[in-house]
Amino acid sequence: MASSIDDLKTEIKKALPGLDMVIAWAAGPDPLSHTPLFITEEADVERIEWDPRCSQNLAGYLPGLRGKKVGIVVKGCDARSLVELLQEKLIDREDVTIFGLHCTGAVDARAARKALGSLRGGLESVSVNGGTASFSMSGEPRTLPLAEVLQKKCFTCTGADAEVCDHFIGEHGEPPRVTETPATTLEELEAMSMEERLHFWEDQMSRCIRCYACRSACPLCVCQDHCAAQSREPHWVDQTDHPREKLMFQAIHALHTAGRCTECGECERACPMGLPIMTLKQALNRSIQDLFDYRAGTDPDQAPPLFEFREEEKNIKEREW
Amino acid sequence: MNIGVFVCHCGSNIAGTVDTEAVAKAALNFREVVFATDTMYACSEPGQAGIVDAIKTYDLDGVVVASCTPRMHEATFRRTLERAGLNKYMFEMANIREHVSWVGKDKEANTRKAEELVHMAVEKLRRNDYLEAGEFDINKRVMVIGGGVAGIQAALDCADGGLEVVLVEREPSIGGKMSKLDKTFPTVDCSSCILGPKMVDVAQHPNITLYTLSEVDSVKGFVGNFDVTVRRKAAYVDWDACTGCGECATKCPSKKTPDRFNEFIGTTTAINIPFPQAIPKKASINPEACIMLTKGKCGACAKACPTEAIRFDQQDELVTEQVGAIIAATGYDLFDFTKYGEYGGGRYPDVITSMQYERLLSASGPTEGHIKRPSDGTEPKDIVFIQCVGSRDKSIGRPYCSGFCCMYTAKQTILTKDHMPDSQSYVFYMDIRSPGKNYDEFTRRAMEEYGARYIRGRVSAIQPKNGRYLVKGADTLLGQQVEIEADLIVLAVGAEAAKGAGELAEKLRISYDPYGFFLEGHPKLKPVETNTAGIYLAGSCQGPKDIPSSVAQGDAAAAKVLALFSKDKLASDPQVSGVKLVRCIGCGKCESVCPFGAIEMIDFRGMPKASVVETVCQGCGVCTAACPQGAIQLRHFTDNQILAEVNTLCL
Repeated sequence: MASSIDDLKTEIKKALPGLDMVIAWAAGPDPLSHTPLFITEEADVERIEWDPRCSQNLAGYLPGLRGKKVGIVVKGCDARSLVELLQEKLIDREDVTIFGLHCTGAVDARAARKALGSLRGGLESVSVNGGTASFSMSGEPRTLPLAEVLQKKCFTCTGADAEVCDHFIGEHGEPPRVTETPATTLEELEAMSMEERLHFWEDQMSRCIRCYACRSACPLCVCQDHCAAQSREPHWVDQTDHPREKLMFQAIHALHTAGRCTECGECERACPMGLPIMTLKQALNRSIQDLFDYRAGTDPDQAPPLFEFREEEKNIKEREW
Repeated sequence: MNIGVFVCHCGSNIAGTVDTEAVAKAALNFREVVFATDTMYACSEPGQAGIVDAIKTYDLDGVVVASCTPRMHEATFRRTLERAGLNKYMFEMANIREHVSWVGKDKEANTRKAEELVHMAVEKLRRNDYLEAGEFDINKRVMVIGGGVAGIQAALDCADGGLEVVLVEREPSIGGKMSKLDKTFPTVDCSSCILGPKMVDVAQHPNITLYTLSEVDSVKGFVGNFDVTVRRKAAYVDWDACTGCGECATKCPSKKTPDRFNEFIGTTTAINIPFPQAIPKKASINPEACIMLTKGKCGACAKACPTEAIRFDQQDELVTEQVGAIIAATGYDLFDFTKYGEYGGGRYPDVITSMQYERLLSASGPTEGHIKRPSDGTEPKDIVFIQCVGSRDKSIGRPYCSGFCCMYTAKQTILTKDHMPDSQSYVFYMDIRSPGKNYDEFTRRAMEEYGARYIRGRVSAIQPKNGRYLVKGADTLLGQQVEIEADLIVLAVGAEAAKGAGELAEKLRISYDPYGFFLEGHPKLKPVETNTAGIYLAGSCQGPKDIPSSVAQGDAAAAKVLALFSKDKLASDPQVSGVKLVRCIGCGKCESVCPFGAIEMIDFRGMPKASVVETVCQGCGVCTAACPQGAIQLRHFTDNQILAEVNTLCL
């Protein structure tokens, strides 16, 4: 990891003169999660951090910076969001310089804090080796099983390397392997009856505080100030404090990202109530894959299936010719 | 808003299973409804007068009629509102006939459902806006797709009416099925003698552009302004240079080419003119049979051609034509006679289709009009005709009657006797269907004057026997089995939709039935219109038809086009999508999903925004579903209107 971060800094320094800014991660107020760093001067480069605490998907900043020359550091999953943004022409490839990395898995800050207890002494480093995560606290290493501290999305990671990039830094590798993967919420839901599923969501949504952090964190939410959730024209959702209205908003968000969501997990990571809302998107993604044989964010040259009109879909035979 | 509700009895159609009075009474409790009544026939003269009176008396500014489908009478009632001085879009229709009274018998439940539908219509109407239709120019050219007798007739009528016509035909020559027939019923006059002059008229008419060996590749646009791209397939012959002398065909060494025009009875050459009366009379090469095109060696035709017209390197060519209306006249195909194993079609050489028999009878056919058995070339004596081969049979997915087979079989028995006075014809039939003018007299003549023996019953098996065939069947009138020894068996194959009809319908965006026949706008009242404005139907593409009916429908389609083009401008439908610029973020998703290319991205103060080309928009609403922030809305069907309907029903 040490060599990767040095190589990353060297590459960014080389590229910086030709760019308006580079987005990377730096240490922030929370010892368990690094924050975004917007680099415009060479001196900032030294502040870059790169380890399993670099959770945030930085690709979400790119549409807002359209027109500027931006460098961006991405993990495997972040790169898929970036590809989706390219496919939807929300960003321009020639304006983006991508520094790709191999990710060993991202820490779930909430779970790690619970497992580690007090962090008052500070946290010097975090690393993932094989099936465990090592936390160095005040010079003392603590080792925890991955299943306890990694983000849930990492258990189903489909590629830890940034596939689309201009500069790949470090070695290529496999996603983290967890021996005892906890069952996903989607799997749990599939074992339930329809009625149980509704109760599950009513229960979850009764905790939703409608802060819309999930929406704000989503790199593919494009509506900016015109979200259907807060509009009267059209009036899809009202402000009643009822699980039904909250679930309606989640359904809208899931449908808006159907076939686009790359399962970067930002919605769940941002949710202060820890609601398993990515599950809704995963369920739709499965249908999209069955129907269109398509996975979002894998190929910049492919068009998302729901953004195209074809008289006959390859896998949906409506007609006999 | 003052809303009036009118609940129609439609005679007993609705009132029989819906308590219309109760529905009207319930409607008075809905928001902003100030007047509600039930009425015998809302669409009738007094019914409409009642609506106009109520609008004036109660100062209504919106009307709900609960009656039949909007397809039937929405336009009628909108005109009623206009007459009363209201904007015609301040109208909603609740379909309580097709959706309620015709499908349910429980009067109580029906009444409840009708009330709910009326309530939904009221809530939608409360959110309706005044809409105004715009105007657009029309291109007064017409394309006719298919050069059979229906298409020829439609093209000639339109051209005589002063319109520029583009006639597109898939085969190398126009003429269609009729050009293959020997004689026509019920007059037994020569088919090519009556069709030939019409074909020549097409060729010589200054207003007609003829594209044969061509197919429609794509259709864009809308009524008055279609862009049709036609694929002109390579003939491998420069038709400007070809004089139709036929020298090439005499020199072509590939003499065993299957002869499509002659229904594969006999063979032809790889380069040929399909038949002597072909229009245009130009040679074309069958690329699958041509030795030069398949093996790269030969070129005998090129050497023989006096005008050096052969072009082995010719490619398909795409031509785009701008037209204002399209007449589809793509005809039909014949049922595949090998599907009935018991008749031995395809296995026994002397079991042939009626169209093949037609070619044997024709003086310009492969046998020069002498009836000869395909197996040994001898003249048959006993001929069995089997009717309804591929018609009226649910088991093979052809439950419909092809309509013309009874008549052509009768004609063929008459011609058989004319050709061979010693012959005997037998006809196995289910029922004889001869309802046209002079038709029943004609079938009687076949039996009584020409001695054709009609046997009511089906054939169960045909077996070869000593160079002849044993036909085993039932005579259901006598109630006994019959066996007939025959030299030749003619299967009266039925009609099915032309190959590729479904694809063409999709390109034209017109509806088609499960069998592939194109759907008319209304089975009784709009027999030549489709549900797509500006597209009309002629001939058997709509359903099996004989020559008189096809010609009549060709005339009718031309009349529709001439009526359409009698105006200089058409009114555009204001029920189309519109973009709210402040909301639009210019993501372009609407543009990429639009099936009609009706959305373009524009630059608005330096920002990309979507913009709807209103004349191209068909109001399908796909863009409104794709737009994440609701910036694009379908007028008259906004999200809020639909949500209001859903909430009325569900909350």
